[in-house]
Order: sequence, then C-alpha cells, then structure tokens
Amino acid sequence: MSAAGDSPPRAGGERSGLVVVNHLLILATLLAAWEIGSRAGVLDPLFFPRPSSILAGFWRLYVTQGNIWPHLGLTVGEVISGFLAGSLMGIGLALVVGMSDRVRRYLKPYVIVIEATPRIAIGPVIIAAFGFGWSSKVLIVMLVCFFAPFVNTLNGMLNVDEDDISMMRSMRASKLQTFRLVMLPNAMPDILGGLRLAMASALGGALVAEFIASNAGMGVLISQYTGVLNMASAFVCVLTLTVLGFAIFRLMEALDRFIVFWTDAERMETVSRRRARRWAERSGGRP
Amino acid sequence: MAIAERHQSATPETARGDVPVISAHDVSKTFGDGRVVALNGATFDVRPGEFIALVGPSGCGKSTLLRIVAGLLERSGGDLRVHGEPVKGPHTDVAMMFQKPTLLAWRTAIENVLLPAEIAGKVTEADRQKAEGLLELTGLTDFAFSFPRQLSGGMQQRVALARLLQTGADVLLLDEPFGALDEFTRERLNVELSRITSEVGATTMFVTHNIGEAIFLADRVFVMTPRPGEIAAIVDVPLPRPRDPAIQVTPEFNALVAEVRGTLGGRL
Ligand SMILES: Nc1ncnc2c1ncn2[C@@H]1O[C@H](COP(=O)(O)OP(=O)(O)OP(=O)(O)O)[C@@H](O)[C@H]1O
Ligand SMILES: [Mg+2]
Repeated sequence: MSAAGDSPPRAGGERSGLVVVNHLLILATLLAAWEIGSRAGVLDPLFFPRPSSILAGFWRLYVTQGNIWPHLGLTVGEVISGFLAGSLMGIGLALVVGMSDRVRRYLKPYVIVIEATPRIAIGPVIIAAFGFGWSSKVLIVMLVCFFAPFVNTLNGMLNVDEDDISMMRSMRASKLQTFRLVMLPNAMPDILGGLRLAMASALGGALVAEFIASNAGMGVLISQYTGVLNMASAFVCVLTLTVLGFAIFRLMEALDRFIVFWTDAERMETVSRRRARRWAERSGGRP
Repeated sequence: MAIAERHQSATPETARGDVPVISAHDVSKTFGDGRVVALNGATFDVRPGEFIALVGPSGCGKSTLLRIVAGLLERSGGDLRVHGEPVKGPHTDVAMMFQKPTLLAWRTAIENVLLPAEIAGKVTEADRQKAEGLLELTGLTDFAFSFPRQLSGGMQQRVALARLLQTGADVLLLDEPFGALDEFTRERLNVELSRITSEVGATTMFVTHNIGEAIFLADRVFVMTPRPGEIAAIVDVPLPRPRDPAIQVTPEFNALVAEVRGTLGGRL
C-alpha cells in the first residue's frame, strides 16, 4: 500500500532527472560542434569565439584581472535603485489615483500622452539635462520602470468586484479599510505583474543608457570589447547579463508565489496549514 | 426621541408583535432622472423575528428594495425606518448577503467570518470564539482554515452566511443567496437557513425567483410585479416554522403556491 503510494513521485523524479541529462547532452553537443567548427575554420573565430576561449575569458575577467566587478556593480546598482524608485512611484501614484475619481479624470490624458512616447527616446534628453553620471542613468531606468507598475496597479484597483465593495459598505467599512482589506490585495497580482515587466525592462534600460553615454558599466564594457574585437570578453559580458536576467526573473517569480499565494493550489495549502497552527497556538489556553 | 424609540425596540419581550423592526411607507426609487421606476409605493411592516420572502420576475425591484433597506441605495421618496430610526445609510443592526459569496480570496474561511469584527475594531477573543461557533453552526468546522478557492460554491455561501451572522445584526437581508447553486445544495441550505434564523431570532428578508422556496421559508411572501416595481400582494403562510421539507407536497402548500402564481399571472 505504502509502496504503491510512494512510487509515482519517484517515477516523476526519475523522468525529470532524465530531462536534465538530455538537455546537458544537447548543450554539450552544441558546444562541441561550435568548438570543432571554429577550429576547422567553418566559423570565423573573430566573431564566434570558441567556447574554450570564452571560458578562459571568464577566468580572466572575474579572477586574474577582475575588471568586470566595478562595471557589474555599477550596472546592478543602477538597475536596483532605478527599479525601486520608478516602480514605487508608479504604484504609489496609481494607488492615489485609483482611490479618487476626480484625480483619475484629470490625470488620464497626461498618462496616455506620456505612455505613447517611446521611453528610450527621452534618454538623450535626460542625459543632456543631468549629464553623463550616475543620476541620469538611474533616471532612465526609473522612467522605464514607472509605467508598467502604474498601469497595472490602476487596472487592479479598477477591476475590483462591485459586490465586494457593497459588502464592505454594508459593514460600514471606511474608505481606508475598503482600500486596505479589499482593493489593495485584489490588485496585488496585477501589481506584481507590473513589477515583473518593469524588472525585465530595467536591465535593458540601464544598458541602453550606458550605450548612449557613459564611462562605466556593463554596457560600456561590451562596447569597449567589441570596439577592439575582443569578442571572447564581450561574450563573457553578455553571458553574465543572461545569468543576471535569469536570476532576476526567478526572484520575481518567487516573490509572486510568496505574496499572491491564493492563486497557487500548493502554496494555498501551505499557508492554510500555517494559519491553522497559529490559530491553535493563540487559543491554546482555551478548552 | 430617536434614543427612546431605539430603547423600546431593544426589549423584544414587550416589543414583539407591537413595534415593527422594519417599517416602510410609500418607498420609491427611480433611476435615470425618473425615467426608470424601479420601485413604486412600497408600504409594509416587518415584525420582529419574521421571515419575509420577496418573489417576482426579473426586474421587479427586489434587489432595489433590499439595497434600500440595507442603506446601500438612497431611496427617491417615502419613509423607511429600521427599529424606528430613519434609514440614512448602512447600519450595524442590518446585514446583507449577496448572490455571489463575496469572500476575500486571500483570507481563510474563519478570517472571512471575522471580517465584520475587524472592521468594527480590534478582534477580541470573544469574536474568535463566536466565529468558531458560527462555523460549527454552518457545518464548516473542518474547513475553518480553507481558502475560498478550496471550497465548493455551497460551502462558500455557508461561510458568507456565517459572516452575516458574525455581524450581530438582527435584520438579515439575503438577495438570492443560493441562486447560483444546484437544486440539491440550495434546498439543503434553505432548510439550514430556516433553522438558523429561527435559532438566532433574526428578522429576515429573503429574495428568490422560486415560489415554492418562498412559501417553504417565509411567514409572509411579498409578491412583486415589474414596470413599475410594486408589491402586488402579501400572502400569509400560516404554517409553523421551522418546517419539514415534506410539507412541500401537502395540499395547503400547493394552494399557497397557486395563490402566489395567480397574483403574478394576473399582473403580467
Ligand atoms: N443602477 C441602476 N441604474 C439604472 N437602472 C437600474 C439600476 N439598478 C436597477 N435598475 C433598474 O431597476 C429595475 C429593478 O431592478 P432590480 O435589480 O431591483 O430587479 P430585481 O427584481 O432584483 O431583478 P432580478 O430578479 O433580475 O435580480 C430594473 O428595471 C433595472 O433595470
Ligand atoms: Mg436582483
């Protein structure tokens, strides 16, 4: 009985293990083909550096020279501060606007006009106003990160169920209570969706800002390496950004699962058990 | 003066049968600058502990009437009092339940039941015990920590019913609360509702499309007709409550169904 109950997950585990092995085999074959193609002269090693020389590049950039660190740190710093400032402003403004019909009416045309303007086009204008330094790059990331959270939060606020609002009103809830207990949690999936979009474009925004005008950062490093045709090192930078982007994506996914637990059956059960335990602890003294 | 009246109604022994809990005189509601008359000349009294069912075809103003009594909708004219006080907005003595469960998806069943307490102020130990008791009353003890999405439609409405009772209101307004459920579940919940309302001694107004359901549950049935929305007739159901589902096949019951159907048929 217990053996029968145990075997299906183990079979599933074996199968997913097999998938990983398959993917690793495919990847190894591709890299081997690339390496051989490059050595045989089929691929121009100038533009398609060999995997082995990219690997050597990683060692050089990260360990022996270590010159990638300040640039990476700078770009990550821009992304994080621009993302936080831009998306918090977007969410905050949407919450204020969402609560008031009048503000919503007045602000709407401006929002539409600004939305229609390609964000990056404003980049050179910002650089002209704020210079080549840190602040203009953060401002560009902020701009890129503002709209998705703003629009999504506003949508989340507006798609609240009218009956839910009536229910709160019939219990004499204040506007603030209705906001805190119903509208904000109701908008949470949308808000996090907006943050995901913002985070995805934040890295791109920072790189473009660095491409336009800067003297440091990953964008600058990539430009410099490709400028002197050191493609192996340029690939190291690009792959670093790939890993960074993937890590950010995973982080946002985890955040989503943690906060919006009620859309995920498995998480819902975990939270349900935790709350049952907490309730039992609190009423422990009671018969 | 309002305080004196309020005081009077707070002593049910002397008030029962004398002072109406809800008293409406010529209550009306129009929409769109008076073009749509949703409710016209509604005049009635509801006695303490009475169960009133509102029946009528779609658009006859049942929901409108209930929302006006709940204080969610402003009336266009007439006089409406609950416990002798004119209705000016949502009141703690009146609670309403909707066709949809309107549960908050991020709260467990018991947290949803505690919502009224949380809105009123700090949640006390007494509130928590009351919520546990109400979940027991509605047969949900084993599901206290389930989230709404983990519950069936019928169970969700039971949670909503427990939340309705947690408010402590003595006037309960239910707008087709089980209308979206299958017939078996609906019938079972109707029986439970009947038992629970007589147990807690609440005064109830219940909207339904179903004539049989109205007669099974109610002390009196308000039969409403549309364009303009009016109370066309009030039918007394002189059968003791709570009732056994078996009475639905008795001749008395069928005579009452025919009476209500006749009123509706004549006016449509
Ligand atoms: N907010 C509103 N604006 C305009 N007209 C409305 C509004 N609410 C209701 N009405 C109108 O008032 C009338 C009565 O509506 P009400 O919702 O009270 O009917 P009902 O008896 O509850 O119907 P149903 O059985 O379909 O729920 C309808 O003709 C409806 O169109
Ligand atoms: Mg209705």
